[in-house]
Amino acid sequence: MANMFTVASKEFSDIVRGKRFLILVIVFGLMMTVAIASIYLRVIQAAQQAGGVAMPRGFLGLAAYNLITTMSYFAPILGLALGCDAISGEREKGTLKTTLVQPVFRDTIINGKFSGAFLSISLAIVIASLVGIVGSVLTLGITPTGEDVTRLFLFMLFSILFAMTYYGLAAFLSTVSKRTTQSVIISVMLWAVFTFVIPIVASLVAVSTISVSIRPFQNATRPFKNATSRQELQRYVEELRRQSAITESIQSIAPNYHFTRIAQYILQAYAGGIGARIGIGGAGQGLEGLRAASILQSLSFAWPNILVLTISTILTFIASYMVFTRQEIR
Amino acid sequence: MDFVIETKELTKVYKSEGKDVLAVDHLNLNVEGGSILGLLGPNGAGKTTFIMMLTGLTLPTSGTAKVLGYDIIKESREIRKKVGLLPEGFGFYDHLTAPQNLDYIAALNDIPKAERVKRIDEALSLVGLQDVKDRKVGGFSRGMKQRLGIAQALLKNPELLIFDEPTVGLDPEGSRAFKDLVLRLNKDGKTVILSTHLLFEVGPLCHSIVVMNRGKAVVQGRVRELMEKLMAEEGYRIRIEGKGNLGTFADALRGLKEVKEIKLEDRGILLKAISDISLQIGRMASNYGVEVSTLRVEEPTLEDLFMKYYRKEGISIG
Repeated sequence: MANMFTVASKEFSDIVRGKRFLILVIVFGLMMTVAIASIYLRVIQAAQQAGGVAMPRGFLGLAAYNLITTMSYFAPILGLALGCDAISGEREKGTLKTTLVQPVFRDTIINGKFSGAFLSISLAIVIASLVGIVGSVLTLGITPTGEDVTRLFLFMLFSILFAMTYYGLAAFLSTVSKRTTQSVIISVMLWAVFTFVIPIVASLVAVSTISVSIRPFQNATRPFKNATSRQELQRYVEELRRQSAITESIQSIAPNYHFTRIAQYILQAYAGGIGARIGIGGAGQGLEGLRAASILQSLSFAWPNILVLTISTILTFIASYMVFTRQEIR
Repeated sequence: MDFVIETKELTKVYKSEGKDVLAVDHLNLNVEGGSILGLLGPNGAGKTTFIMMLTGLTLPTSGTAKVLGYDIIKESREIRKKVGLLPEGFGFYDHLTAPQNLDYIAALNDIPKAERVKRIDEALSLVGLQDVKDRKVGGFSRGMKQRLGIAQALLKNPELLIFDEPTVGLDPEGSRAFKDLVLRLNKDGKTVILSTHLLFEVGPLCHSIVVMNRGKAVVQGRVRELMEKLMAEEGYRIRIEGKGNLGTFADALRGLKEVKEIKLEDRGILLKAISDISLQIGRMASNYGVEVSTLRVEEPTLEDLFMKYYRKEGISIG
C-alpha cells in the first residue's frame, strides 16, 4: 500500500508538472472562456430582441451546453494524452526496468499509475469545469443554488469517469504496444472512430434501413404540404423514432454517446431557459420531458449509461493489469 | 559451504515469432558467498535472461533456483529487497535530479525518510556523482547515468550485487573507479556478480567465472582451479632466452619425451612440456654451449583461458 502511494504520488507529480498537462488545461480553459464570451454576446442580442427574458437562469442553459460540448472533446483527449505512454513510455526510457528491479509487485505499479492518473485527470477536469462554471456565474452574477452545485459536481464526476474510460483504453494499448508511437496512433484512431465515424455511420445505417415516406418540413411556409392524413403523419413520426433507435443503438458502442446522455440527464434542468428559446440549447434536444426531473430522477435515467462507462473503465483496467503482470522482462 | 545462488536445471524458453528460443538451458550453478563471479559470454548467450530469472522478473520454464535462500518464484520480492541489481537497459527520470531519482527508489525500497538523505549521499559519493547532484539527469552523459545506475543498486545496502554490463558507457577512469568499487564492496563482505561480454574488462577481478554460450554454462569454476586445469591440459609453457646456438639446442630439446611442442623465436625458445622440466633444461644448456639469460615457466593468463573456451565454442571475442 505504501509503495502504491509512492508510485501514485510520483505519477501525479510527473503529470501535473509536465508541459503536456499544462498545455491541455490552458487550451481547454481558453476554449471555455472564448465559448462563454461568444454565448454571452448572443444572449445579450437575443435578450434585446425577446425582451423580458430571465437572463441569469437562462444563461445557465447555454453554459451547460457549452460545458458538455467542450468536455466531450476535452475529457477523451486528456485521457488519451495521459494514458498513451503510461507503460510504453516508461519501457522505452528504461525507467520501468529500474522500478521493477525494486521490491515492488507489478500490480502496485499499475494500481499506482491508475491512481496517479485519476488524481491528475480529476484536477484537470475540475480546473477546466471551474473556468466554465465560475466564468458563467461571474459574468452574469448568478448565485448558484444547492442543486446547481450538486448537478455540476455530478457532471464533473462523470466527466472524470469518461476521461478515465479513455485513459484506461490508452493505458491498455500502451501496455500491449512495443512503442509509444504505436499506442498513440491506435488511440487517436479509436478516438476519431468513436467521435466522428460512428455517429456518421449510425446515421447512414439508420437512413438506409428505414426510409421516411413523407417529408413534412420540405416547405417552410406550408410545413405539412405532403401530409395527406393523420395516419401518414403518425407513420412519419414512427419512422423517425425507429431511425433514432437504430442511430442510438449503433452510437452506444462509443463511450462518447454514454457521456453525452449522462451529461444531458444531469444538466437537463438548465436546458429550458433562454438557450432552448433561441435554439442553441443543444443539451436539451429530445429530452424536454426531463426538464423538471430531480437530481435523483436524473441519475435514475442516466444509470445505464453510467454503468456502461464504469464497466468499460474497469474492463480496460483489468485488461492492462492482466497483460502487464504477465509480461516478460528481458 | 554457503551459496548465495543455487540453481538446478534452470531453463527458460521464449516464444519469438512463433518459434521456441532456448535462452537458458538446464543451468546448474552455485555461487559462493563473499566472492566475485564473472558471468561471461557473448551477446545473446543468456546472461541477462538468467539474471532476470534470479530476480523474479522473468519466470523460468523449468528448474528451480534460490537466491540468498529465497525461492525465485515464490519469494522474488524478498530477493529484490536484498539484491542490488543494475539491469541492462535501465533508465532514470530525466526531469529529476540524481537525488530525486534515488529518493523515489529509496521509497520503493521502504527506506525510512530519515535515513534516505544519508544513504543517497553515501551512494552518490561512492560513484563520484556528489558534485552534480543538483543537475537534472537529462543532462547526464552515458557514463554518469551508468554511475547513477550503480548508485541505485547500492542504495539498499544489499548483500548481493548483480551488475549487468556495468562498464558499458564508462570512460577508462570510470571503469577503473568501478573496479576499485567492486573490490571495496567485496572486501566489505558483499558478493558481486559481474555479467559482461567484455571479458577482459572485468575478468581479472573475478574469483570465479561462468562462461555462457547459447544458454549453457560451458565453463564454470574458480579462476585458480581453471588455470591449473588449463596448465595440466595445455602443458607448461617454458621460455628460454640466451646466447649461443639456439637452433641446435632446440633440436636437442625436441628429443625429450616431456616436450610436446617447441618453437624457435627471435630472442629464444618457447616450448610446451607435460611437466616442469626447467632444471633439466638448465643442465642441458651448458652441454650445448648456450648461455641462458632467462629460463621461466609461464603460467597461462586469463586470456589464454578465455581464448581456449571461446575458440572451442566458436565465440568471437568482444
